[in-house]
Amino acid sequence: MSADTIEQAMARAAQLRQDIRRFCAETMPAELRSKSERHQVLAKADYLQWLRLLQRQGWVVGHWPEAHGGAGWSALERFVFEDELARQGCPWVIPFGVKYVGPVIYTYGSDAQKQRFLPGIISSEEFWAQGYSEPGAGSDLAALRTAARRDGDHYVVDGQKVWTTYAQWADWLFCLVRTDAEARPQNGISFLLIDMRSPGITVKPIRTMDGYAHVNEVWLENVRVPVENLVGTEGEGWTYAKFLLRNERTAGAIVGMVHHALQRLKRLARETRAGAARLIDQAPMRQRIGEFELRCFALEEAAYQAMQALMDGSENGAEASLIKLRGTELYQAIAEATVEALGLAGVAYDTEALHSAELPPLGPDDAGGIIKDHFYNRAATIFGGSSEVQRNILAKMVLGL
Amino acid sequence: MTTDTDTIEMLRDSVTRYAADHYGFLKRHAVLADARGFGAQAWADYAQFGWLALRLPEDAGGIDADASAIGALMEVVGARLLMEPLLASAVLGTGLVLRAGSAAQQARLLPALADGTLKLAFASDDDPVCAAGDGADGANSADSDCTLRGGRLHGSRHGVLHGDIADRVIVGARDADASGAWALCLVDADAAGLQRRSYRMVDGRGAANLRFEGCRVERLDAADAAAALAAARDEAAVALCAEALGVVRSLVATTCDYLKVRKQFGKTIGSYQALQHRMVDMFLLQEEIRALTRAAQRALHGPVAERARIVSGAKAYIGGAARHVANEAVQMHGGLGVTDELDVSHYFRRVMVINALFGNRDQHVARFVDAALADA
Repeated sequence: MSADTIEQAMARAAQLRQDIRRFCAETMPAELRSKSERHQVLAKADYLQWLRLLQRQGWVVGHWPEAHGGAGWSALERFVFEDELARQGCPWVIPFGVKYVGPVIYTYGSDAQKQRFLPGIISSEEFWAQGYSEPGAGSDLAALRTAARRDGDHYVVDGQKVWTTYAQWADWLFCLVRTDAEARPQNGISFLLIDMRSPGITVKPIRTMDGYAHVNEVWLENVRVPVENLVGTEGEGWTYAKFLLRNERTAGAIVGMVHHALQRLKRLARETRAGAARLIDQAPMRQRIGEFELRCFALEEAAYQAMQALMDGSENGAEASLIKLRGTELYQAIAEATVEALGLAGVAYDTEALHSAELPPLGPDDAGGIIKDHFYNRAATIFGGSSEVQRNILAKMVLGL
Repeated sequence: MTTDTDTIEMLRDSVTRYAADHYGFLKRHAVLADARGFGAQAWADYAQFGWLALRLPEDAGGIDADASAIGALMEVVGARLLMEPLLASAVLGTGLVLRAGSAAQQARLLPALADGTLKLAFASDDDPVCAAGDGADGANSADSDCTLRGGRLHGSRHGVLHGDIADRVIVGARDADASGAWALCLVDADAAGLQRRSYRMVDGRGAANLRFEGCRVERLDAADAAAALAAARDEAAVALCAEALGVVRSLVATTCDYLKVRKQFGKTIGSYQALQHRMVDMFLLQEEIRALTRAAQRALHGPVAERARIVSGAKAYIGGAARHVANEAVQMHGGLGVTDELDVSHYFRRVMVINALFGNRDQHVARFVDAALADA
């Protein structure tokens, strides 16, 4: 991008930020706002309502090219969209359709697949889940073993996926399968779109330490998938999988989440008295918050630099990993401090109250939600490429070690 | 004032090329051995290339350099460990003459600064982080030790970078005849009543402790001295951020290269994951230092209230980050890392000086936190 184009992109992004703030203030339904502010558990209907409200502005697929129904956003606008929603503490924009599989389909899919699937993704009519990880293939994704063998005009799929977020709600699963056991690991992988109503699919919830089951095991036994649901070329799935992971590692949400979490900690420290003084006026808490402010400042400037680099073409390839590593580590540190600041209310936990508008909370109004978020995001340094894998990749790709 | 990008890149290229040709590690050893603690030939070269005049307006032969342009120079100062008083004289001293000098003083002093015949040191104050935290007020109750009485300067300043070789020193002092208002004083190196104890900093550059016993001074009083002092201190902090960036880039590059050639147990040490991950963290810190240096450079020309938060936040974070990189660079070079023979230990020592100058980490953290939590 030229300097002029960058300036225009920055002006558009600033406008988008204003528009999102106004949208959140004026358009978010009261019930959804109340649930969000208390960090309550959201139902599928809540998420869908939010996705559809956002899409009324064209924002859910704003990062898609205009030819496919998007707004052709720059990287900066995309960043601002994710960042500002997270700053406002809005519900998660569930990414599996709009952010992950949608771009794979419009980039590598057939015309028939584009016509069949893109409208349902844009409108959130169809809910997608991600069939990537397996028990023996987490960080080492290319070790996956779920097999698909050709049988006439179908693939027959056998295997097991794990950590599949919201598989219990999904209509469709985009799934990495091994179509050639002989080739070297990355070469024998294909990318299939699987109807979750197909016979032979079993979803088993995995209960996590927050008391919920956001993630699942998905078992596939003799699942027949029409050949037309193969994306791109058989055996080229690794290329599409990596393309998708690059989209997964966009940086906006974590920066906004850190900012939001820090504001929440500061509010709690202002509102909480320990003895005569507010927590925020006591030296140890002030020192902790000061350190978080400093790290948050560094994170925001690193993100700004990363966006600049994306636009002027000076990327070094480490930008997304830097934001993910620093952002998730800082988020977890703030969440930990917030839970500790709650004292015993930070270990009192009633999941019923997190669903209910009627049940009174234990401790401060949002304490339960703070604990739940802390539990959920303890996995943030594990999912989407663990911190260790991020460092492995940077060592190899950027430093040449 | 914004220096255009092309000018900055040309400056960066020419300083980089000069330093590569004339300031290699071995040539620098000769400078280290020089009793003056800086290279007289290099200083003359800088003057000839116009690098001592960067801060001057264009009609006075300069380029009216903004913080980014000064940063391009300072990055090379750090990357090649230049020893000359560029920061003290060409940036801060010249900047103060421009900020607070009268037209007549500027006409007399600036040409001598630009051609290198006048070298200034800046004895800001012993505790440069202002208590008020708003960056505008130079007042600091702990710092009343330099006082003007009847136009004569009394008091002392410690750890004045290049105070050993400066021709004149700019001192921030309280004017007892004006209710203790801040004053900016120029003191000649050979002024009667000036005692100077000269020594070297750990990085080999010269410094001095100065004692003033009724010295005659020339005042720079065409502007509010407190504001000029505060602005100069922030300018110093931002320039030091850029210098740290240069140091860290050199350390990251040299350490990464070393991991690729040094073999132990039959393999290059860079093939061990324990070291790979630590090397990656050094690189990430370098990128954060770059981002924060740019932020501080932008903030220096922005509103004063924002300036305190961003400049001190940058100097504080960068201080910790640079120190970590320096520690790791030494560690990964093993025993060689602590030798005088290898450049790594010289970078290590420069980081120590950068972190001590114009507000240490704790002072800048405190100022950052006060600004960041002002509304809490």
